[in-house]
Amino acid sequence: MIKLIEKIEGEAKLDFSFKDGKIDFVDVKFMSTRNIENILKGKRAFDALVINPRVCGICGHAHLIATVQALESCYEDLELSNKAKIMRELTLNFELIQNHFKWFYLTILPFFGHSQQILKATYPTQLMGKAIAIFGGQYPHTSYAIVGGVVCEITQMDIVKCDNYISQTLKFVEDNIVKVDAKTLLEATNSDLLLEYEGDLPNILREIKKEDVLKDAKSYDRFIAFGESSFFKKGKSLKAKVSHKISLEDVKESEVPSSFAKNVSYKDKYYEVGPLARAMINKTPLIVDAHKKHGDSVFSRVLARVYEISTLLNHSKILLKNLDLAEPSYIEPPLDISKLNSSGFSAVEAARGTLIHKVEIKDGIIKNYEIITPTQWNLSGGSREKPGVSQKAMVGLGDIKTAELVFKSFDVCSVCTTH
Amino acid sequence: MLDKKQLKKEQIIECALELFASRGFYSTTIPDIAKSLKMSVGNMYNYFKSKDILASEIIKYISVYLGKKLREINEEDISTKEKTRKIVEMYFKTASVKPEMIDYFLRIYLSNREVFRDTCEGMLCVNEFVTEIMIYFEEGVRCGDLREQDFFSAFGLFMGYLGGMVFLKGEDILPKDLNEYVEDITYNIYKALSSQ
Amino acid sequence: MKTKMKVLWLSAISCNGNTHSFFNYSQMEQFLEDFEFIYHPVIDSKYLLQDIVSQDIECDVLLIEGAISKEFKRADLSIVDIIQRYSKRVKKIVTVGTCATFGGIFRESGYEKTSGLHFDQEKRVDTFKSLLDKTISLSGCPVHPEVLVNTLYAIKKDITLKVDEFLRPKEFYAYTVHNGCTRNEYFEYKVDNHNFGELEGCMFYDHGCQAPFTHGSCNKILWNEVNSKTRAGLPCMGCTEPSFPRQNLFSTKKNMAIPEHLPVGVNKRVYLTLAGITKAFKIDRLEKKLFDD
Repeated sequence: MIKLIEKIEGEAKLDFSFKDGKIDFVDVKFMSTRNIENILKGKRAFDALVINPRVCGICGHAHLIATVQALESCYEDLELSNKAKIMRELTLNFELIQNHFKWFYLTILPFFGHSQQILKATYPTQLMGKAIAIFGGQYPHTSYAIVGGVVCEITQMDIVKCDNYISQTLKFVEDNIVKVDAKTLLEATNSDLLLEYEGDLPNILREIKKEDVLKDAKSYDRFIAFGESSFFKKGKSLKAKVSHKISLEDVKESEVPSSFAKNVSYKDKYYEVGPLARAMINKTPLIVDAHKKHGDSVFSRVLARVYEISTLLNHSKILLKNLDLAEPSYIEPPLDISKLNSSGFSAVEAARGTLIHKVEIKDGIIKNYEIITPTQWNLSGGSREKPGVSQKAMVGLGDIKTAELVFKSFDVCSVCTTH
Repeated sequence: MLDKKQLKKEQIIECALELFASRGFYSTTIPDIAKSLKMSVGNMYNYFKSKDILASEIIKYISVYLGKKLREINEEDISTKEKTRKIVEMYFKTASVKPEMIDYFLRIYLSNREVFRDTCEGMLCVNEFVTEIMIYFEEGVRCGDLREQDFFSAFGLFMGYLGGMVFLKGEDILPKDLNEYVEDITYNIYKALSSQ
Repeated sequence: MKTKMKVLWLSAISCNGNTHSFFNYSQMEQFLEDFEFIYHPVIDSKYLLQDIVSQDIECDVLLIEGAISKEFKRADLSIVDIIQRYSKRVKKIVTVGTCATFGGIFRESGYEKTSGLHFDQEKRVDTFKSLLDKTISLSGCPVHPEVLVNTLYAIKKDITLKVDEFLRPKEFYAYTVHNGCTRNEYFEYKVDNHNFGELEGCMFYDHGCQAPFTHGSCNKILWNEVNSKTRAGLPCMGCTEPSFPRQNLFSTKKNMAIPEHLPVGVNKRVYLTLAGITKAFKIDRLEKKLFDD
């Protein structure tokens, strides 16, 4: 039975096969692509900074940061100020945060008999957009991060403004998401206690907990994250055992005949990426506790994603304090890009997980560009024998509606997946 | 109705140009010019408040004159190479018909910058002329005939060359008439600027 | 009860950037009281995309986001067929963004004959010729939410908007992006030594800023209500124009050091004359740091 899954920044088709009233396999198909990688070929390398944010309307900023880092890795002795690094990390954090609000209030809520809370999604989203715009001029689709730093210079007043947007967003979290002061929430370690609070997150988590069918909708309990920042660590987690020694060379992308989405695996195994993966690798106490009790289920995934809002807001406040305005925002690269023959890659943590960009440049012109998006990791369409991460989580469920929730718990982005 | 005052101003400029060329810039005074025009010195000051102002008005006058000629060439529907030849021809023709103009430009304007410092900052007084040269360059590069390069490296090559030839002529060093060099100079300039 | 205007938001070959830009509209509550989406890529609607393509649902305004090609399908139906069906019903069609208007970035995505609804860059496309009178173009990558929402209100209130040759409302596109840029003085006085990462300087001379020849209100209606790309120090990429994206976007195309693209409607001779005059003066205030010690 084929079900068209809508409102995932496009669509996907899920082809369910049932056996004895239970799903025994789901084929995941993405029907279209925009061939971004081809569009990039033959273009000037810096033009990728303008084109790539247009991979995606909701996580385009991650594509910008991945692009600039991939291009910078092509240089041997490029200098980057700490100030520029912090600004980039801040704006990327803000994008992750706005994404999580939208996902929670627009995608997850309706599964539990609520209507979408559009205003609750847009209010904090707009605050985060403003915070990005202070640095980048606008959101979405800025190209403010360029090879050598960022285009903007900021002032004391910009920092004050930005700090207020973060505070206001934190207040929104306290008033709506979990009705407790931000500090208590950050220090929480027991996911059961969290359920005793009021707020939109505990409400939904309590409903998830009630649904027995969701308890078994688990996948491989394998997580991976390649993007590193002052907050996120690179590593993998297998049954909660974390190791930080992983190499991008072991990541493989392969074509799928029935879909425009390519499969992604690490050492031939499928891994889950995203906020739950990051929290497991970062050993975030509250999420590790939830994982201990609920495994890699919808419960942990929803909690991890929404909780990341708080941890990132808190960390952004610290980052903002660390900004040294005396440092330069931009340091001119040592070599003109038109003289560059090189290749490079980058990995950043986007809202939905690890995003990888690879680039090959000849005389400053893009010869080859490859993008591996987070949704590709989570939604790789495997075989019956070796299902992908989301497929495995759906197998065994009895109905399509629940399967759709499990599918969307990965925060699917169609445009990114096929790019 | 042609502005009478403007006409008179032009007369003064033409007269001053001749006197500067024949007697030298520093040894020519405002009373000298007035005398030559049969004007009172007081009346003369109604037109130009000082010799420095007169000096800068003259350079502007020359710039407008040359700029107009260049614009005519720029607006012709001909190749960049043809335009190059016409500019060289026009410049040499001006140097022989109105030698005092080019002379003023080379010997007075370029050599006595202190006189022009207050009124002719940068290329303010030669704007019309430089603008047309810019248009000639810009259109040459745009249509692919000329090579992209810094404006001043091209400008220096072109104007320095022409100025140098007129200077040699003025010093009576050139064995032949300026016009006889047009072909070779056009070839040299075009070759140096061309994208080929 | 007030009747809400029914809007169909249809995505073609797009990144959904306009969808997310729209979420930045600050009076969303009021908007949702005045308009109803019969379909939207993110907001829940009464109908599914499957209903939209299989039925003929009542609708007042069709919004198209993304570039258009017959080959591109939504829910197994060609986007061209969906547009054709709904365009007959609706009062107005709005192309939301540069892809839907001119083809934009995804004009190059490899689908057969990909373009905007009525334009393939500057060229007219005849496929939907009969809809010209009904169409309003809102170019921009993305479109500013105010531009979109206020255009929808104009339709709702039966206000006739004056439009330009590309059907863009003059209210928003008669301005250039240059209007209102905080770096204007550096442009006016030809202070051309811009470096990235500074509050000072103008990106027009070296860094490819297209603001003086790009139509849009970016510096009049600020982005996210706080800033604009050029104010932040990012060159305008000309994203509202048929030519978007040009090539070599961070560098100014120059001929013998003279910018090839000049402020819109300004004759080259006039520009160079003015430039020559202003360049003659050195203005200390503009050579110095804005916040000097």
